[in-house]
Amino acid sequence: MPAHHVLIYLLTGGAAGLVGAMLGIGGGVFLVPLLTLGFGVPIRAAVAASLISVIATATASSTVNLDRGLVNMRLAMALEVATSIGGLGGGLAASLLSTQQLFLIFGATLAAMGALMMMRSGRRNVIADTSVQPGRLGGRLQEGDTTYVYRVRRLPLALGASLGAGAVSGLLGLGGGIIKVPVLNTFCGVPIRVAAATSAFMIGVTAAASVFVYFARGDVVLPIAAAVALGALPGSLAGARLGQRVEARALKIFMAVVLLLVGGRMALEAL
Amino acid sequence: MTGRVEQLEDVIEKSLKVGLGLSTVLLLVGLVLDMPVPLRWGILLLMLTPVVRVAVVTVGLALERDWTFTFVSLFVLAVLGAGIWVAVQR
Repeated sequence: MPAHHVLIYLLTGGAAGLVGAMLGIGGGVFLVPLLTLGFGVPIRAAVAASLISVIATATASSTVNLDRGLVNMRLAMALEVATSIGGLGGGLAASLLSTQQLFLIFGATLAAMGALMMMRSGRRNVIADTSVQPGRLGGRLQEGDTTYVYRVRRLPLALGASLGAGAVSGLLGLGGGIIKVPVLNTFCGVPIRVAAATSAFMIGVTAAASVFVYFARGDVVLPIAAAVALGALPGSLAGARLGQRVEARALKIFMAVVLLLVGGRMALEAL
Repeated sequence: MTGRVEQLEDVIEKSLKVGLGLSTVLLLVGLVLDMPVPLRWGILLLMLTPVVRVAVVTVGLALERDWTFTFVSLFVLAVLGAGIWVAVQR
C-alpha cells in the first residue's frame, strides 16, 4: 500500500475515533460510508476494518473513562448480554431483510432519535439530592465539586435497544453505540456522559462478537484495518478527554445533529 | 464494596492498556516495515482485548462472590466464545 494511502487511512481512523470516543458511539457510522463511498473499499472489508477500529476506540477511551469513574460497569454487563447475542445473530437476521429495507429502517430510527434528543436536550437526568438511593444499576456522578445521583429506568427497553444495536453492529460494522447512547440518555435516565462512557466500554465487546467471523472469512484487509485502527487510538484518547470538558447540553445537541445527518443520509440512500 | 469495584476497574484498565500497547507496537512495526506477520498478530491481539477484558471482569466478580453478575459475565464470555468457535470452524 502506498504511503499516502496509509496516511489517509490513519487520518480517517483518527477522525472517526475522536468523534466516536467523545459520544461513545465508536465511529463506525462514519468509517463504513467513508471507506466504501470515499475510498472504494469493498463493503465487507470496510465493515471488518470498522469493527476492528471500534474495538480500538472502545479500548482506548475506556482507559480514560474508567480512570474518571464514568463507566457504569453493572449496567454495561447487563446490557452486554443482549448486545453480544444481537452481535452474533446479526448476520442471520440480515438475510431476512434487504440492505435497502435495513438502511431505511435504521436511518429513519436514527433521525427520529436525533429529533427527539434535540427537543429534550435541556432536560437533565441527574438528581442533585445525594440522599436519593441510585438502586442496583444506577450510580453517582461527580461533576466539578458536585455529586449527582441517577437511577436507571426502563431496563427492558435498554436491553431491547442493546439487542437491536448488537444486530445492527454485526451487520453494518458499527459499535451500536449510536442506538444505545440516545436510548440510555433519553428514555432510561442515564446522564449523557455516563451513557457515552458506558456505551464506549460495551461496544468493544459488541464488535468482538462478530469480528472473528469476518477475520476467518478473510474480510480483514490487514494494512487498511491496521492503519484505520492505529489512527483511531490517539483520536479516541483525545475524544474521551474532550467529551468530559464539553457541557452536557452541547454534547447532546452534537449527538442529535450526528443522528439526524447519519440517519437522513442512510434513509435517502435507500430511497 | 466501592473500594473493591474500584480495584476491579483498576485491573481492567491495566489489562486494556497492556493489550493496546502490545498491539500498537505490532501494528506500527507491520505498517512501517510492510510485514504482514506483525500486522496479523497485532490485529488478532486487538480483537482479543475485549474478550480478555470480559474474562478479567468474570474472575473479579467471582472473587467478590457477586454471583448474579458473575453469571451475567460468564454468559457474555460464552457468546464471545461461540463467535470465536464459529470462526475457527470456517
